[in-house]
Amino acid sequence: MSKSCCRIGNLRETFVMLAETVTGSSKPRPHWLQVIAVGRNPRYTLVRIVVLVVLCVVLFHFVLLPVRVDGISMFPTYKNGSVNFSNRLAYLWHEPRRGDVVTIRYAGEHLMLLKRIIGLPGETVAFDNGAVLINGQPLPEPYEKHPGDWTLSPRKLGPDEYFVVGDNRTMPYKQHTFGVVERFRIVGKVLL
Amino acid sequence: MKIVSRIILVIALAALGVWLWTVLFPSPEKIIRKQLADLANEVSFSQDQNSLIKLAHAQSVADFFTSNVEVDVNVPGHGQQTMLGRVQITQAALASRQEATDLKLKFPDVNITVAPDNNSAVADVTVDATISGERDAILQEVKITFQKVDGKWLINKVESVPVVS
Repeated sequence: MSKSCCRIGNLRETFVMLAETVTGSSKPRPHWLQVIAVGRNPRYTLVRIVVLVVLCVVLFHFVLLPVRVDGISMFPTYKNGSVNFSNRLAYLWHEPRRGDVVTIRYAGEHLMLLKRIIGLPGETVAFDNGAVLINGQPLPEPYEKHPGDWTLSPRKLGPDEYFVVGDNRTMPYKQHTFGVVERFRIVGKVLL
Repeated sequence: MKIVSRIILVIALAALGVWLWTVLFPSPEKIIRKQLADLANEVSFSQDQNSLIKLAHAQSVADFFTSNVEVDVNVPGHGQQTMLGRVQITQAALASRQEATDLKLKFPDVNITVAPDNNSAVADVTVDATISGERDAILQEVKITFQKVDGKWLINKVESVPVVS
């Protein structure tokens, strides 16, 4: 008798388990360690990880290039060692504008210059005792905190050329990389 | 099941074959990239290096160039540097070891275009040189022309490309 009772009990449990499996009404709770490590459903977690990795690769390779500032030529706007992003899509619908801080490529994009555009194609750029003159008119530069004393003769820009310079004009201009760059070298606009 | 395992085996063998082919017969681009990596290694030196080793490396720098090589580069902070022939290259390599205690040369970006006849190639290279005692690294884009001489890719011409002029 007791045996048959036990059998009936077992059969009941089996039916309940089968019903739960079919309907999916109550699943056994996964161990908390498993939830932390791989989530409630490892398959979904794997899919989420793959999607996230693909998104990150696409975002940080084709859209926002991470850049680390090395040097003091953009001080105090960008300090040595700070990290930023270069938005490659910034100039998809319009050309670079005056005041934009842009990344400028060499042979590739592993090493780039970070400079501010002050002169646009066709303009004449000059420096007179620290003041920037665009077509003979002084350019207001609120980003320049410590004006220098650079004096440089006027330079006429070509149709595809931009004049770029760093914000730190206190350093001697011979130690500062600045001047005319061609449009194809401008990779993107600095994000922050 | 047998067919699937056979297909997998064939694909694996084909991949192995392709890999072996690229190892045994590397493309000119791959050879030039390796040449440039080796050149950067030979030009670089550190103060803890033995002076005999430094001398040996300085002399082997010339092996990467043709006998009539022309080098005309503008080195930021050091002005225009012109060299003609292997002897001057060796002299410059030796002089750099006497003037500085450490020099680290890297080519972070290399774009290679091989001529259709496979006998010459042009590499657009970003040069990143860090010299001890100098605050900023020397960054410069250079155009390096390679020539195939007796089966070896040697540098025939080096000229700087102005990025910001």
